[in-house]
This record gives sequence, structure tokens and C-alpha cells, in this order.
Amino acid sequence: MSVPASQMWAVASYVIKQKLRGRKRYPLVLMLEPLFRCNLTCAGCGKIQYPAQILRKQLSVEACLKAVDECGAPIVSIPGGEPLMYPQIGELVDALVKRKKYVYLCTNALLLKEELEAGVFKPSKYLSFSIHMDGLRADHDEAVCRDGVYDTAVEGIREALRRGFRVTTNTTLFDGANPLRMREFFDEMMTLGVEGMMVSPGYSYSKAPDQEHFLRRSKTHGLFSAMLSNPKKQWKFNQSPLFLQFLMGKHDYECTPWGNPTFNLFGWQRPCYLLQEGYAESFQDLMENTRWENYGRKSGNEKCLDCMVHCGFEATAVDQTFSSWQGFRDTVVATLTGKL
Amino acid sequence: MTLEGWVPKLGEYLALAEVIDLAFDYRGNTTVVKVDGSEVEGYIFNRNRHVPEPFIQMFDLAGERPLKILYSEIQNIKFTGKDMAAGNSWIAWLERKEKEAAEKAPRRDKGME
Ligand code: SF4
Ligand code: SF4
Repeated sequence: MSVPASQMWAVASYVIKQKLRGRKRYPLVLMLEPLFRCNLTCAGCGKIQYPAQILRKQLSVEACLKAVDECGAPIVSIPGGEPLMYPQIGELVDALVKRKKYVYLCTNALLLKEELEAGVFKPSKYLSFSIHMDGLRADHDEAVCRDGVYDTAVEGIREALRRGFRVTTNTTLFDGANPLRMREFFDEMMTLGVEGMMVSPGYSYSKAPDQEHFLRRSKTHGLFSAMLSNPKKQWKFNQSPLFLQFLMGKHDYECTPWGNPTFNLFGWQRPCYLLQEGYAESFQDLMENTRWENYGRKSGNEKCLDCMVHCGFEATAVDQTFSSWQGFRDTVVATLTGKL
Repeated sequence: MTLEGWVPKLGEYLALAEVIDLAFDYRGNTTVVKVDGSEVEGYIFNRNRHVPEPFIQMFDLAGERPLKILYSEIQNIKFTGKDMAAGNSWIAWLERKEKEAAEKAPRRDKGME
């Protein structure tokens, strides 16, 4: 695993503090979306399908920082839209770094080289560019519906690494992904020199009988087992090993929808990053007045039955590490040996 | 299937609360017809029916400050704006790609086989 020790320590001490305070629900990663605009139009992307007046809007830096302070999570992930199109992105990241938040700036990297050359960012242990890479060249360009994006992203990664930035990749896998090609992709990313990779299945939802939901989850387990069994020594993953084991079918977790709360132009999104069932005006309102019992697999909510996405389950995996000796031991063993 | 252009006929089989739910899920502008006959056009991004006075929130066409309108002030909602999600799903994209590929492929007439 590749999460730097200082970040691991920051997260561990935060989680332990929450547990000592007896806090049942606490956020781990704030998903901060300053805008919905993007310079790509990936098929099926639910983030960009808004009328023009909404796509033109963006949050102020003050509003972003107020949300960060209200939430208190140690990690802030900035997806979007495309955050490099946010005019105050440098100012926002600077302010987050000053607050000692670990920032994952999730970008398609089309503008990365240009922004780095313009000196918008300074390297910091708190800042990591998380580059959207959905596979090898052909697979990625197909996923983002434009040729040449993979090559531009690779150029951006090289430039960021050359300038001393932390760089990770994030990959969403849908039905039909090829495990062997994904293993090649992991080799390629590690050869490029990224610090670590993040993988997650994409969100899927359809009304179906129970048996079919079970089959879909088994399919996901099969894909991730084929991809991640016998991981190569050089592969590094920038996420909880227990979450990866969950994807491989080695643990059965329930979702933690409040683990990755989402703030955007509309407010605090209920209940999670994936579902938009309404918006709360404050973080407290989100935590106290969301009907959490209606979400997760046990609730029987059809929208949750097939979901194994990182924004719902990674927080569960991290919580598991600190909830039992077994969880702690499994995490330590996987971290030290690299075995999943 | 898109609701673009739909003007709901409220009555025994269609309640206002259902239309509000559909308008909330709709990825395009709508026109809210108020009980006093006035109309507001914009994007509905929120609705809350679990409070004593259920309400919707929307940005108008200029994207200005969110307006809050109570359910009790709404007569109907017309789906007047373009549906930004229509035809943009992953499946729709794959179908388009396959069709394009089939059109580009050299035609194989029976006589050449
Ligand atoms: S790059 Fe991300 S935000 Fe932009 S269209 Fe693709 S999936 Fe959506
Ligand atoms: S299971 Fe998935 S869709 Fe359901 S609340 Fe959790 S993260 Fe959201």
C-alpha cells in the first residue's frame, strides 16, 4: 500500500478520536464539488447533465472553506466537473493545505500541464493529483469518449512528477472490464512513477430480483479477484486494503453513506455522493435529518443493492481497521506484505 | 424516455407531489405555475416533503439565488426546458458507437461473399 505514513497517522488519530468521543457517525472524506462544468463529456456522466445557468455557476472559495470547516473531515477530495476549470483552484488548494487537509484533486488532466507551468500549485505532502485513468490508452479514450485524452493525461502525470508533486490515479471499472488488460494498466501506471492507484467499480442500479443482485455482486468479486489476486510487488494502491479485499469478496461490508459527504452548488447532498435525494442546508442538518436507515443493502433500497462503490464502502473499511483486532491485523498484514 | 415538453394533467390519477418528484429528478429547466397564476422558469434542485411546510428550491434562468416555493403555492409544473440527460447514458453512447462503426464498415454485398 502506498499511503504516506504522515497521512495514515492523521487519518488513524482522527478515527480514534471519533471513536473515543463515541461519535457513531463521522465523515472521513469531504467530496467538494466547486463546479459542474467539464471539458469532457463522458457518456453517462451524471455530473455534467445540467442546464446552462447551472453549468455556469461555481462555489466561492469562502463557501468551500466554510463547508470544509463545518465537516471537519481530514481528507478533502475535489472532483467536479473538472476542478482545473475552477478559476480559484490555486487559492482553494492553498487554503486547504494551510488547514493541513489532505487534498485529492481529481482531474482528467487535460489542463494539468498548463496549470503546472503557470505555477498555480506548489508541491506539498498534503496535495495529491488524482488522475482519472480508466485503463490503457484504448480503454481510457473509449471511456471518456475522446481520442488522445490518455496521452495528454500521461504528459500531465509526467510533468507533475517531474515537479515533485504527489500523483495518484483513480479508475472506475464497469461491466466487461478485462482483468488482464487492467493488470497491464497497473504495470504501466507504476512504471510512470505514480505514488499509488485507486480502483472502484462504477455505480450500477437496476430493478431486479434478489438473485440477480447477488449475481451482479459475484461478478464484481470475480473481476476484482482476477485483477488483484497475486498482486505484483511493484503495484501500490492508495486506498484501504480492506476495501480492496471487500471488492474481491473477502469481506461483507455495509455502506457508510455519511463517510464521504458531498457539498456542491446545491448544498449538502443527501444521502451520498451517488444518489441525489435532496439537499441539506448545513452539515449538521445532513447528519441529523437524513433518514440513514433508508440506505445501504440492509435497508432493501433497490438503488443500494448493487452498489459497491468506494464512496460508500471505503469509509466502512477504514472504520473496520479501528473497530476490531482482526480488522487492524488484516490491514497491517496487507500493508506490510502487499498481499490482498 | 424523456418528459421534455410534458404538461401534466393533475387529477385523480396524478397528484401534485408526484409531479414535483418527477420535476426534481428532471435534468432540465421547468416552469412552475403558481396558484396565483404567475410562472417561474428555472432548475429545481431540491424538494423536501418531510417538513411541516414542504417546499422546492430552484435557480431561475439567470442562475440567481435559490428561490424557495412552498408546495401549497404550486398549481402545476411544466417540463419546458431541454432534458440534458436524454440520450446521454452509457448504453445510449455504446449504441451510437456501434451504429457508427456499422455504417463505416465496408458493405458486404451478397455477391462478394
Ligand atoms: S471527466 Fe469526469 S466530470 Fe468530466 S465528463 Fe468525464 S466523468 Fe464527468
Ligand atoms: S449503497 Fe451506494 S448508493 Fe446506497 S447510500 Fe451507499 S453509497 Fe449511496
